[in-house]
Amino acid sequence: MTVKIVTDTLSDITSDLAAELGITVVPLYVRFGEEIFRDRVEITSEEFYSRLVNVTKLPSTTQPTPNDFAQVYKELARETDEILVIVVSGKLSGTYQSATQAKEYVKGKCRIEIVDSLTVAMAEGLIVISAAKAIKEGANLAQVADMARRAAPRSHLIAYFDTLKYLAKGGRIGKAQGLLGPLLSIKPILTVRDGEMAPLTRVRSLSAGLDYFYNLVKGFSNIEGLAVEHATTPDVADKLVERLGAIYPKDRIYRSVISPVIGTYAGPNALALTILEAEKK
Amino acid sequence: MAKISSVAGQDLRDMFSAATSWLEKSAADIDALNVFPVPDGDTGTNMMLTMRSTMEEAYRAPDHSASGVAHAMAKGALMGARGNSGVILSQIWRGLAQGLEGKESFNAAELADALQKSAAIAYKGVSNPVEGTMLTVMKDAAKEAKDQVEQGQEDIVTVLEATVNAAGDSVANTPRLLKVLKDAGVVDAGGQGLYTLLEGALRYLKGETELMRLRKPQIIVSELPLSVPLPQTVGVEEVPYGYCTEFLLKGEELEPEDIRKRLESKGESLIVVGDESAIRIHIHTLSPGTVIQFATKLGTLHQVSIRNMDEQHQDFLEMQKERMPTTDTAVIAVASGEGLIEVFGSLGAAAVIPGGQTMNPSTKDILQAVESTFTDNVIILPNNKNIILTANQVQSLTQKKIKIVPTKTIPQGVVALLAFDYEADFKANAEIMEKALSSVRTIEITRSIRATKLNGLKIRRKQPIGLLDDDLVAVGETDLDVINKILAKLDLDKSEVITIYYGADTEANEAEEISASITEQYPQLQVEVIKGGQPHYNYIISVE
Repeated sequence: MTVKIVTDTLSDITSDLAAELGITVVPLYVRFGEEIFRDRVEITSEEFYSRLVNVTKLPSTTQPTPNDFAQVYKELARETDEILVIVVSGKLSGTYQSATQAKEYVKGKCRIEIVDSLTVAMAEGLIVISAAKAIKEGANLAQVADMARRAAPRSHLIAYFDTLKYLAKGGRIGKAQGLLGPLLSIKPILTVRDGEMAPLTRVRSLSAGLDYFYNLVKGFSNIEGLAVEHATTPDVADKLVERLGAIYPKDRIYRSVISPVIGTYAGPNALALTILEAEKK
Repeated sequence: MAKISSVAGQDLRDMFSAATSWLEKSAADIDALNVFPVPDGDTGTNMMLTMRSTMEEAYRAPDHSASGVAHAMAKGALMGARGNSGVILSQIWRGLAQGLEGKESFNAAELADALQKSAAIAYKGVSNPVEGTMLTVMKDAAKEAKDQVEQGQEDIVTVLEATVNAAGDSVANTPRLLKVLKDAGVVDAGGQGLYTLLEGALRYLKGETELMRLRKPQIIVSELPLSVPLPQTVGVEEVPYGYCTEFLLKGEELEPEDIRKRLESKGESLIVVGDESAIRIHIHTLSPGTVIQFATKLGTLHQVSIRNMDEQHQDFLEMQKERMPTTDTAVIAVASGEGLIEVFGSLGAAAVIPGGQTMNPSTKDILQAVESTFTDNVIILPNNKNIILTANQVQSLTQKKIKIVPTKTIPQGVVALLAFDYEADFKANAEIMEKALSSVRTIEITRSIRATKLNGLKIRRKQPIGLLDDDLVAVGETDLDVINKILAKLDLDKSEVITIYYGADTEANEAEEISASITEQYPQLQVEVIKGGQPHYNYIISVE
């Protein structure tokens, strides 16, 4: 029986891609004040960003309940006895906890492995995609779990924020805190390091940010997976993909939308680039 | 400079009012030095708040004689004293008031005597005086004043200058006297505060008020090399500090000596000062209740403050941690003008050295800034071509590794700092930052100091002139005229952001008009206006 893969909505795996690769995506919850939505089920990305710009208090995300995972596990256990769960960084969300606790509710001989991706967005998503491909090629649970764990440190997320407004509103957010309070208008470029948001550098314009992305990709010699994500500006992200086409096959670049957990701090007009480095042989 | 043989009450007030503003500028830096008696990081703030109360009372005093002002200062300080350092400071003013008793004004000899009194009373107020603190600094300063007078010096400025220098030397020496300072690699915070106050008073007497507006007090650097790196020494031992308990006791026929004796066994850092009608008590104790209970029997309590010092200490550690750079590399910059200094600070420069055109900092100034950083690797942004050489001298004077990114203008310094890569190492960062310099053009607008012919331009005296990347390229009738001429020379198709830093002598609305004019001509550009506050240059403009 083939291994089934489960991930969370923060991996930014689109529903089309999930269907194509046979991946089950468990939604997190997004809370605006009193209102709670299941991410990408009850609230679309467009709705999320249009609400975001109009609120004074930032939304928060809540991990899926253990029961949410348990339901998925039970469903999948009918057709397989091996499940691989790849989740968002444990430092950014409690999803890993829920996924782990849910194992106890599943009786029977189905084995479930849970992997902390140490990252988020398509940096998490690229690991999921890579795992799905390995399964297609016949990897078993132990092999694919090991592969995913090894891939986690090679998966990089680089995000361009158009404004510091949301980062500032969100309060403490790891070392990215150090970027706050400049007297000039700047656009920060951040990454996820050791499971937490961390600053990379700063630019003063979108095009300088796009140059930074381009040069960064150029600097990698061996790329296994590449994705470009937008918040509210798909056209800008498409142009970046066009430009990256000069150094990486355009049709292999995944496109997605930045998930709420990054989006809450990034705000509109943000862009994200994720790179999965190939393993050194 | 004119000699000053006597100072009246008004001047006494004004000089310490100026000194208070001077201290205020470095309060946060002094907070960061604070490790003794408890590393809670509030000495600078406490001294500043104490001085505010001191000066408010001084201005309220009906008696404008030197004696009257000094007594009012002593009263204001006692009423508003905060923390250990504040209480000791109040005793210094009390000594001064006793020394100046009944005097309309004072001369150098009388000042020296009064300072001796200040030192003596400050020592008496503390139950177990510790050397290497502001007490030592006060004592050393007072001794130098006395020596000067005994050598026949009558000019107050000369005497005070020598006194301030002696205080500075004494501050630098504090780590030799107090191990906790040596371990932390800092000088005593209270001593630094006292030095800054005296220095401020001296600068006022010398008529340097303009300079005081532009500059910031220097924090004296510990002369001794760090015996252990800082993060490991600041507060690793988990000794409970208890509660910092402070209040003002008002009553009749109070006996400070008696009260001190009764409280001595109740805790550490005990200070009991005042007179029979008002006494300020400060103690670090594990049982504040007992102290308060005892005091309520003697009179009424005011301004009661009980703070958990372990918590304060935690906050302090957190604060230190946040200041720690994410990498092993610190960047320091040279800039003048409050706005520009803040711009560099806000972008993460670990230190900003005041200086620039016609105010080049010394090698020592830069060295001090280098030594003040928490890291072993330091990148220096000189932001002026005349300062690059000075900065190059620093490497031979320090154990730290230095790299100079040869920035010749403020905009170059800003783009270099912005390009700082939080994940790159020292060497790579210096390269990345230097590479960024080519992404910016600098326009500087100033006034010609004389009539001249240069680069084919005929220039009248005081006419607006413009420099592009340090070369004189345009002259015109107005600042805007010159700016337009230079912008016309640039290929702005690839530019995106224009930042206008306007100078100390330029009005905000003029800068806004220039911004509006540029936006109108080049609508694709994003124009930002910032108050740089720099001297000499009406405008420094960055084109990115």
